[in-house]
Amino acid sequence: MMTSVSDDKLGELISRIALADRDAFSALYAHIGPKLFGVCLRILKQQAIAEDALQEIFVKIWQRSQSFTTGKAPPMAWLVTIARNHCIDLLRARRPDPVDIDDAIALADEAPDPEASAITASDGRRIDKCLGELDADKAKAVVGAYVEGYSYQELAEEYKVPINTMRTWLRRSLTKLKECLEP
Amino acid sequence: MTNGSTEANNMRDPARDSAIAGEYVLGVLPEAERRTAEARIASEPAFAALVSGWQSDLSVLDEHYEEQNVPPVIKSRIDSRLFGDGREESTGIWASLAFWRGLAFASLLVVAGVGAVATGLVPFGDTQTGGGAPLVADLTGENAPISLVARFDPAGNTLRVIPAALDGDAEKSLELWVVPGDGVPVSLGVVPSDGGLIAIDKAISSEMKAGATLAISLEPAGGSPTGVATGPVLVVGALAESK
Repeated sequence: MMTSVSDDKLGELISRIALADRDAFSALYAHIGPKLFGVCLRILKQQAIAEDALQEIFVKIWQRSQSFTTGKAPPMAWLVTIARNHCIDLLRARRPDPVDIDDAIALADEAPDPEASAITASDGRRIDKCLGELDADKAKAVVGAYVEGYSYQELAEEYKVPINTMRTWLRRSLTKLKECLEP
Repeated sequence: MTNGSTEANNMRDPARDSAIAGEYVLGVLPEAERRTAEARIASEPAFAALVSGWQSDLSVLDEHYEEQNVPPVIKSRIDSRLFGDGREESTGIWASLAFWRGLAFASLLVVAGVGAVATGLVPFGDTQTGGGAPLVADLTGENAPISLVARFDPAGNTLRVIPAALDGDAEKSLELWVVPGDGVPVSLGVVPSDGGLIAIDKAISSEMKAGATLAISLEPAGGSPTGVATGPVLVVGALAESK
């Protein structure tokens, strides 16, 4: 399900929020709340934690709206970045010890849906083309890290390699990706 | 972490920096390295540009996030956090951008008089409805390019900032902090470039009491990426009862 609201509309709403316009804030919430809640649920996995995170994210959106007007990122990407960063910060703070796997996520079950990846790839955009040039495993690790918020520890467990090897893999993949994106 | 020896290397390798920026945007870094990356975003424009580039490249993957139904109660919780009891903000002249801009233009000359204005001559909106007396802080600093008066309304959990001449540098933001008893500054958000209203998180409003210190630091556009002040503190002042 894709959101139908345009970046222009979102940008206008954020600019009005920067002027403390609460109606604009409510309208923005109505437009993008479900999308950002999708981010929270996907990364945090638990409903109650995701609900708390969504609240914090919208508080941040209100507080940071002024900075958006001078920013350059497309509005939706800016909003999702705030949401992802908040959720990932929560995860990293929650598991300071990388060996602690008490509430380990079922990585195999939660891995990115290959069909969804295939649909994205068929659009022929550059990032998909470049991901396609990586080994399938490595492209999947990149997408999984981004979409699910996996840590190096979690990726290493899923791919059954030492964490250092995982990092080497991912860094090389990123370097190759960048070379492809910006030849 | 695993590459501690190379982190100490002062040489900035562009390919390596690009990979670190990518790791940061992916989110895979452990917390300590994540904070290090954020400090670099704040202090190294070249590194910040690498991060922006990755954010732009990878944002296509945002399509993987599907919309999910949000429980209706969440919005009222957010409103309650930001705006208090669902009371509408007073609007009028203090919400008018044109007014703020005009005042900001003129205010460097009149800033010495703003303290008096802030303590009663100018309407700040409804501050009389419960929640205790408003608190005011004059924020000044030696050779500071700005001077501000901040007035906290406990009833509405809002902080109104009287605009002063800001330097207008779009690459920088002014971030407001409250320093509570335990000495660890808590961000109150970025000061709008025209001054104006800052909603105070209810969780923080308990720190807004007489004697608490307010400070403004110069930060990268959008505010400190690390949660702690990264730039110079320009002005400080203590909150005091306004009457």
